[in-house]
Amino acid sequence: MIIDIKKFGAILTSRQLGKEALAAYLPNFNNISEEEKIYINFNEIDVFSPSWGDEFLTALYRKFGDRLILKKSSNASVKASLEMLEEANNMKFNIE
Amino acid sequence: MTNNQLKINEAANYLGVSIDTLRRWDDKGKLKSLRVGQGDHRYYNLTQLEEFLMSSCVGLAIKWARNNIGGKPSDIFYCSDSSVFQGRLYKLRKALSDNKEIESFFSLLISVVGEIGDNSFGHNLGNWPDVIGIFFAYDIKKKTIVLADRGQGIFKTLKRVKLELSNDAEALKVAFTEILSGRAPESRGNGLKYVRSVVGKNPISLFFQSGEAELSLDQNNSLLKIKKAKKPIRGCLAIIKF
Repeated sequence: MIIDIKKFGAILTSRQLGKEALAAYLPNFNNISEEEKIYINFNEIDVFSPSWGDEFLTALYRKFGDRLILKKSSNASVKASLEMLEEANNMKFNIE
Repeated sequence: MTNNQLKINEAANYLGVSIDTLRRWDDKGKLKSLRVGQGDHRYYNLTQLEEFLMSSCVGLAIKWARNNIGGKPSDIFYCSDSSVFQGRLYKLRKALSDNKEIESFFSLLISVVGEIGDNSFGHNLGNWPDVIGIFFAYDIKKKTIVLADRGQGIFKTLKRVKLELSNDAEALKVAFTEILSGRAPESRGNGLKYVRSVVGKNPISLFFQSGEAELSLDQNNSLLKIKKAKKPIRGCLAIIKF
């Protein structure tokens, strides 16, 4: 499964919107197999922040562990936010 | 008079100052009125007033945050809830998108603004002491962005999860440096630590005040300088320069 983050908006900085994004997306996982990997694509994202990411990505990491794979992004705010989330939550995203 | 021209009493109301103040500013040349073809009556263009407000936005934000009595700021600055703030972030993004000088840290700058504004709403939801919402403005020519709230401030919010905190300065230091893993009952992240991390590696500077303490971070430097503020404010005030 591939999740295109751009479909949630171009500026993803609000914790509240991150929470809403997760709640809206969760039903999509109802019928996936236990082996299926979840790819996160950050293409065309303008602005990303740890608050939005914490509500969406950290929650998915806790649900899927290493099956959650983040596609490498050249966006500076994506890179900085992922580093902050890893430090704050003492975890390591699977990035490729 | 056109639809975009305001009488002096309307302009005074729009700016939140007295008519006498406007007359004084006119005489001193601080904010000139339009009198051509209008006899002695003074008129003001709406665009002119908006630009004047934006060029004074830092002073107005400080005044608003310091005032003992809370009042709604001018509509041009006022974000009553997080959805209005989100909409204005998109406007800021548009206003900065063609600026080649900031291309390398553009997304980081907007994300820092987003984190600070989001923090204000996250801290104070359901607990605003007087005015609900935040003051948010920017002056692109002066490369300055300002955010303020009249909320509970960092000390009061962090004290809930860190009982040993005793003043605003300690709370500011914790907010910008420590990872608070036991965040309950607050569901909040580490936004201000992210802000420090970004400012420390980019040509962005930050002044941040909460209550009686103020903090400054120079561009490309993560060293926190915290001291007692000359005058206390309600809630938080952030001035970002780039």
